Amino acid sequence: MTEASQKIDTAEKREPRIGVFVCHCGHNIAGVVDVEEVSEKAKSLPGVVFSTHEMFMCADAGQQLIKDKIDELKLNRVVVASCSPRMHEPTFRRVCESAGLNRYLFEQVNLREHVSWCHMRQPEAATEKAWDLVRMAVARARQLDELPIKQVDVTPRTLVVGGGIAGLRAALDIADRGFEAVLVEKEPELGGHVRKWTHLFPADESGAQVISPLIRHVERHKLIDVMTNSKVAEFGGYIGNFDVKIENLKTHKTKTVQVGTVVVATGFRPFEPEGYYAYEQSENIVTLAQLQELPPRAELRRPSDGRIVKKLAFIGCVGSREPGKKGHEHCSRHCCSAVAQASADLKDRVDEVLILYQDIRTYGRGHEELHRLALSKHVIYSKFPREEKPTVHVDDDGNIKVTWTDVLTGDQLEFEPELLVLATAMIPPDDVAETANLFSLTRSGDGFFNPEHIKLAPLTTHTAGVMIAGAAQAAKNASESVIDASGAAAKAVGLMARGKVEIESTVSHVIPELCSACHTCITCCPYGAIAMDEEHDPPVAYVTEAKCHGCGTCAAACPSNAIIMYHSTDNQIMAMIEAYLCPTDMEQQGGN
Amino acid sequence: MSDKKAINSAMVVGGGVAGMQAALDIANQGYKVYLVEKSPTIGGRMAQLDKTFPTLDCSACILTPRLSEVSRHPNIELLAYADLEEVTGTVGDFLVTVIKRSRYVDEEKCAACGDCTEVCPVEVPNEFDRGLGIRKAIYTPFPQATPNIYTIDMENCIRCKRCVSECQRDAIDLEMQDERLEFRVGAIVIATGYEMFDVSRYPRLGYARIPDVIDALEYERLINAAGPTQGHLIRLSDGKIPKSIGFIQCVGARDVAKGVPYCSRVCCMYGIKNAVMAKEHYPDAEVNIYYADIRAFGKGFEEFYEMARTRFGVNFFRGRVAEVTRTQEGRLAVKVEDTLSAKPMEIEHDLVVLSPGIVPPQDLLRLSEKLGVSVRNDGYIDVSHHYFGPVDTRIPGVFVCGCADGPKDIPDSVTAGSAAAMKATIILSHGGQSS
Amino acid sequence: MTMAKTQTDSEHEWTPRIVAYCCNWCSYAGADLAGTSRIQYPPNARIVRVNCTGRISPEFILAALDMGADGVLVSGCHPGDCHYTSGNLKLRARWAIMEKAIEQAGIDTRRIRLQWASASEGQVFADGVAKLVEQVKELGPIQEEWK
Repeated sequence: MTEASQKIDTAEKREPRIGVFVCHCGHNIAGVVDVEEVSEKAKSLPGVVFSTHEMFMCADAGQQLIKDKIDELKLNRVVVASCSPRMHEPTFRRVCESAGLNRYLFEQVNLREHVSWCHMRQPEAATEKAWDLVRMAVARARQLDELPIKQVDVTPRTLVVGGGIAGLRAALDIADRGFEAVLVEKEPELGGHVRKWTHLFPADESGAQVISPLIRHVERHKLIDVMTNSKVAEFGGYIGNFDVKIENLKTHKTKTVQVGTVVVATGFRPFEPEGYYAYEQSENIVTLAQLQELPPRAELRRPSDGRIVKKLAFIGCVGSREPGKKGHEHCSRHCCSAVAQASADLKDRVDEVLILYQDIRTYGRGHEELHRLALSKHVIYSKFPREEKPTVHVDDDGNIKVTWTDVLTGDQLEFEPELLVLATAMIPPDDVAETANLFSLTRSGDGFFNPEHIKLAPLTTHTAGVMIAGAAQAAKNASESVIDASGAAAKAVGLMARGKVEIESTVSHVIPELCSACHTCITCCPYGAIAMDEEHDPPVAYVTEAKCHGCGTCAAACPSNAIIMYHSTDNQIMAMIEAYLCPTDMEQQGGN
Repeated sequence: MSDKKAINSAMVVGGGVAGMQAALDIANQGYKVYLVEKSPTIGGRMAQLDKTFPTLDCSACILTPRLSEVSRHPNIELLAYADLEEVTGTVGDFLVTVIKRSRYVDEEKCAACGDCTEVCPVEVPNEFDRGLGIRKAIYTPFPQATPNIYTIDMENCIRCKRCVSECQRDAIDLEMQDERLEFRVGAIVIATGYEMFDVSRYPRLGYARIPDVIDALEYERLINAAGPTQGHLIRLSDGKIPKSIGFIQCVGARDVAKGVPYCSRVCCMYGIKNAVMAKEHYPDAEVNIYYADIRAFGKGFEEFYEMARTRFGVNFFRGRVAEVTRTQEGRLAVKVEDTLSAKPMEIEHDLVVLSPGIVPPQDLLRLSEKLGVSVRNDGYIDVSHHYFGPVDTRIPGVFVCGCADGPKDIPDSVTAGSAAAMKATIILSHGGQSS
Repeated sequence: MTMAKTQTDSEHEWTPRIVAYCCNWCSYAGADLAGTSRIQYPPNARIVRVNCTGRISPEFILAALDMGADGVLVSGCHPGDCHYTSGNLKLRARWAIMEKAIEQAGIDTRRIRLQWASASEGQVFADGVAKLVEQVKELGPIQEEWK
């Protein structure tokens, strides 16, 4: 790292030579923001030696342009005004690096998500905002410093959290590929929900048929360490080098393991529909999950008294697709097909089957056929209006009566089933918030974990080195969870197989000369990354960089201004504020 | 482990999002990947899309970095404009013959300056724009094409040789021959994607008869800033701005009679997305969707559907469309029975967009025969088991992902790409043995 | 464009200038989502991205007001959801002190706003900006208060 620190010295001494590249993003930005005006004005900003605008900066042509200009004009700072840095900062950092420019000398301006897309009808105000933001970014760019590029080793072991179908598959794939896996499951047995299901809709197999071979393989595999009755109690470290404390819930003994990557496969829980459709009023109103757990029998019997069921009804979307109700707005994806299969199966044992639905979402391979099979067996499908849900009444004798409006005929209809099945939502497990905290994962409106990118990076998260698989990511069926699991395993193995990974240099640093040894930073650091250096005379605080996650809380708290938060220094932030609010004459006038 | 000379390489057939993901995830583990793509560029269908659901991210914006990541990867050898010819051998040691078609442009010399295309006198409809725009006989499909190399379409080339003399790098060779290449690989991933259902097979819906009835992919090109109208959504008949647009769903999906009994999984969402984009272009336009069921089943989909209804004001009509006709004023009359109100209706629009289902590519059957993998009745590749082998074909060492085994949206295709990569690398790591 | 003209323009049509400090993981992403969802909100805020709201010291807010910002928005992860475990709580603890300091300087505390907006709450973020802009419009330019 001596070489890197030398670089830092030289960069500080260099005069800024900034290149500004304004992206049209097709019409996405240029349709609202006057990109030509913005790039023209930027030419006169202090330190700017080049400014232009281009159709797509992220395309090869745009990337090449940046490289060429770095070469040709000896640019030592690059500002790209395009989309969100959460989208393309890694892309442009790589471009800068390939032209020999340290990645931390790049700065991105968000003209799309934060300007053109949210001020579409105000082109002038949007252009003014874009100009302000470019000016601020250039001001920050002048203050940017080169930082060392750090590589760390990746511990060749993966923590898999959750022993359901996704967790089992992920652990097995990782182990089959030749890497160690530690599988942690809080229940006494592996297998998750699938193990309990005697009917695995929409498949012909029972849950046990599907899950038993997987469990057997996992338990026998010498590279997999299975820990049931256990949970992750503490999680720390960083990509490639996580420290995990696993607690046995029975014995309360703990064990510490080091892993390089993590697959979170914590699954879902079926929604308990309290307050819906008289659920609490009759034993004969059950959830789809409860139906899946009924022992297989020649005939269908109702739970209350074991009488044979002649009339069976399902109601779909229970606790799903409820606009405005937090955690229940999403579609639970698996239920339509599961209901279609269940109804087709059970129709052979009962006289009448009724399904009340909003939309029939039998989307998957073979699912449409299940729906057709159900129809061919005279299962009755009836659509109810979204604004007017069916009502369920249980009388004193325990008889169930369902009343609803059939959309197709407009008629008010009634049905008296002996067994009513509520297809309830898939929602996150009770301890999802705890899991999110543990691994620093964010959650979306459905309550499940957010992927790094919903389209192109569905398995990775914003916590580098932590993957998500199966229903931990969103409601999905068992087959889809298996595919997720193999995919997430591939991400984990990719990191372990390379053996090394780059980590961020955006950490904090204590300037010993300014430190007054007040301990404020030590108490506020969430990671215990700051301690006193007793060897120093007088003792001062110091940061263990590997433990620092770069939140900057210490820098804000330090009463002596003795802490520098790299890449987010006071100077860099203040320069932006000043450029916005108190531009110099030259800055204010732009092109003139 | 009998074969000590384990083959440390894999082949991926198809360079769309699924194939690219599979290639990257194999290559990132240190194995060599040959990525075979039949068209002149990787990127697949996603490259043609304007925006993606449910975030309305622009497709090119999220795709292009992926294109450069693939082309830049030291372990990936890109074989674009190439076809898989023959496969012999078994798991762990396949011998694959690939025909690399001649571009008539030297890949090493071409710098994609575009001088050639400017002097080319031949103009033909551009397939990438679904024929709505034009390209020259020497062309790249789109500006971010990867590899960024020009290709001569010999069917339309008139051999005037203007491009040959214009090219300062002497990259053009009209006598260039196809190349026959052989590769030994341990595993193969099929990621051949899909085609759009030919909506003219429903003559009653007016496509190909009425110019202002277009399909959804044509619509994507029309609203795309890099498309033939620079992103202006207009009627093809008279160039006027449509004040009323109707989207017809499930055209060539869930229809046993047309041989497409399955649900195409993506049309509901791209239909809603297209409707939202119409509202974004023209907030005052009347935008209707005619549907059978709205299948908003993926993460964030239902929420997006709700947003389209309530915030963007897209109107939803449940009912199959009986017919689209042209009125005397040149508008389009959509006859539909709205099953929610149980009334037959006739609604006039200025533009009608048909949302086709997706079907297996025409050459998938031939490819499956070469690989020995089985194909289901619906034309897609069969997988070995829902739970134990959702990305495995029945031939050991040959895997499948993306839409090659059935319709999928982008995240599901990407996920399957990663999963297929995992399975392929397990084979490679065991020197050809499946664990 | 000349200086004089710019000045008269701004005198005639005063529009609030807002500095918005957003954490990278929740609120900046929430603002991104507002964009991708095409939620339209007032164009007065300029977002400054910080890793965590815990990074925001009182000086950042005071300096912005001092330099002429009519309002300052701080938007972070919901308590309990911080990407860095507890940075947002540290900021919240500082907030009361900050409000006092601002009050003592004779500035209306309605010019500063602390909100929690997660990565999935584009609307919450946009509404927060709109709310602050509205509040600041009622209060008028900050120069009046510094006098």
